[in-house]
Amino acid sequence: MQADKKLLKDLTPEIESTSTTWYITFSVFLGFFLLGIYGLIQQIDKGHIVTGMRDNVVWGFYIVNFIFFMGLSYSGALISGVLHLFNTGWRKPVIRMAELITVISLIIGPFFIFFCIGRLDRLYFLFIHPRIQSPITWDVIAIITDLFGCFIYLYLSFVEDFAILRDYEGLQVSPWKRKLYKILSLGYDGSPRQKKLLSNAKTIMSVMIIAIAIIVYSVLAWIFGVTLQPGWHSTIFGPYFVIAAVFSGTGLLIILMWIFRRIYHLEEYITKRHFVNVGVLLTVIAAFYGYFTFSDYLTKWYGSIKMDSILIDKLFNEYYLLFIFANYIGILLPAIIIAFPKFRTIPNITVAAAIAVLALWVNRYIIVIPTLETPFLPVQDTRAEWIKYSPTWIEWSLTLAGVSVFVMLFMLISKIAPIVSISEMQEQDTEEILK
Amino acid sequence: MKNGSSIFYTALLFLLLVSYPILSQEENEISPYIQLQYFKNTDESRFLKTTLTYSLNRMEIPIPGMEISFFSEADGKELLGTVFTDYKGVASLELTKNIRLPINEDGLWEFSTEFNGNDTIEAANSELSIKDVRLEMSLQEVDSIKTISLKAVTPQNTSDIPVSEEVVMIYVPRMFSLLPVGEAALDEGGTASLEFPSDLPGDSEGNLTIITKFEEHPDFGNVEKKVEIKWGVPSANQAPVAHRALWTKTAPRWMIITLSVLLAGVWGHYLFAIISLILIKRESKKKAKL
Repeated sequence: MQADKKLLKDLTPEIESTSTTWYITFSVFLGFFLLGIYGLIQQIDKGHIVTGMRDNVVWGFYIVNFIFFMGLSYSGALISGVLHLFNTGWRKPVIRMAELITVISLIIGPFFIFFCIGRLDRLYFLFIHPRIQSPITWDVIAIITDLFGCFIYLYLSFVEDFAILRDYEGLQVSPWKRKLYKILSLGYDGSPRQKKLLSNAKTIMSVMIIAIAIIVYSVLAWIFGVTLQPGWHSTIFGPYFVIAAVFSGTGLLIILMWIFRRIYHLEEYITKRHFVNVGVLLTVIAAFYGYFTFSDYLTKWYGSIKMDSILIDKLFNEYYLLFIFANYIGILLPAIIIAFPKFRTIPNITVAAAIAVLALWVNRYIIVIPTLETPFLPVQDTRAEWIKYSPTWIEWSLTLAGVSVFVMLFMLISKIAPIVSISEMQEQDTEEILK
Repeated sequence: MKNGSSIFYTALLFLLLVSYPILSQEENEISPYIQLQYFKNTDESRFLKTTLTYSLNRMEIPIPGMEISFFSEADGKELLGTVFTDYKGVASLELTKNIRLPINEDGLWEFSTEFNGNDTIEAANSELSIKDVRLEMSLQEVDSIKTISLKAVTPQNTSDIPVSEEVVMIYVPRMFSLLPVGEAALDEGGTASLEFPSDLPGDSEGNLTIITKFEEHPDFGNVEKKVEIKWGVPSANQAPVAHRALWTKTAPRWMIITLSVLLAGVWGHYLFAIISLILIKRESKKKAKL
């Protein structure tokens, strides 16, 4: 497998050598990660009393982060699956990033569940005493299935690149990396039969990845939807969560495109066209997401069920800043920035994406916390500090650790494999020459 | 780029604004609710119980760890004791026989309770006047009819004065609460009788507990008499017939079928992809041999 040398040089900047910036950035995030580890040790030592979670608000930052990361994961899968399946021309430089978002988020997300569980020693009960009727069991099965699927899909997309790197004689890497490329490339040499096998597998897996992403994130939404709690017991939670996930994932994709374009000088490969295209996708999804949000709250408000009214009242008073940010600014601002050609610059689109991602995290926060603070039945023998949730530094540190692991894994992967798919880019070049 | 910067700073400002509610928590001075209650149990032990709570979001929130003082007021204010509230916001003081309980000219005990307050919680107090009452309950079967006989008197100097024209409730404890099985109005002699239902389930031997009580009575407070007797129908606890449902051990068939089909479909496709990878590897091995 041979590839254009310029392409190889441009797309494998960190594989051959490690820059000082890489080390510094990695050290900073490693520091955040270690802070999280320290927080976790405190939590294991002293118990969940060190968190803001109590008898009323039993879910806090951890579950918010879990839903958020899982959302990023499913959206990454959906975006990469759809782009691959429909053979979208401009997908090539961004598809690998979407695939990596999927797998990395899927690895990080479930850890927040582990942080939330009081008796981790009983975790295996989920596997030895599963109840098919329980949405928690559905979720465990779904996440495991999704994790396997995403790994296979990611690996399929890497095979050709590993073969290219294996055969790239000018590549100055350590022998273990060469050996790794040899093993992982499975002896792929781009013969017609191998190409067909790989292409078929990729197409099938891209279809599966789309289906699984929708099902799995719906299952996660049903954990809330099937629960008789104000604000959660909603029939549209499944599609609403899926759309919200794609919204945040698209936003994150834009941010990563901006970061990698800047750090690795990929201006030639990731152009304004890519930002605008993904940005337009973000706007369309923002419209859907806004529509679902409005429908959800309108029906609850109009229904005037006592507890729903109390919850909405709480959202518009106690949580009004968060509510306005998550459901007004987070939707309208990105849509406005991208909708008007005048504002469509790469930094603006990136800021819009950052707002969208942050708004989605806040949206998850105001879905989880205010509801738990507004139970249908007042909890007996409760205490003041159990009602109002306020995260502690331990929850903040573990949240920061989660984000740090995301960044560190991206950085580590960029040391082994190209962040932009070489094989896809080469294919694009060939197509352009043929045209 | 100018546009980008302004949007960035706007976003940053919003970030700071939205993080405020997460980071901070408002604290106001609490205006508590204090309740003083009197209890007399089957064994004639007496208690004063103070509950210190406040209301937040429709919920009654206990205030634990607060010092509550109990006083007798009938013969000048006399401290009976101080107790700290527990996690339920409750402070209980047993009125042991050593504690002197003077009565006022109407023959009533006068109690009061006080919470002095602190920097964050306002002070609160409550008062209560109680007349001592002796409640008796006897159970007998007359002509196969299970009959409860009740008598209530207030001891006064050397004689007892019957409690008349008052209603006494009869309960049987069930799993979650007390089941009311009847109420009896006391006659001029302070007595009453009523028939106990014969079809009430008891434990496996037919034992059940019968409780009679004055509840939150303005003069007597809470006075209770409890007796255990074999008047219930012996219950044979049979396990319900196993069936498939959302709440039973075995899941509905449709659920198992749906999940199995979905999983088989998905994992089948995974298998296809893995087999494709194996075939790619085999092809390269074949070429290497050639």
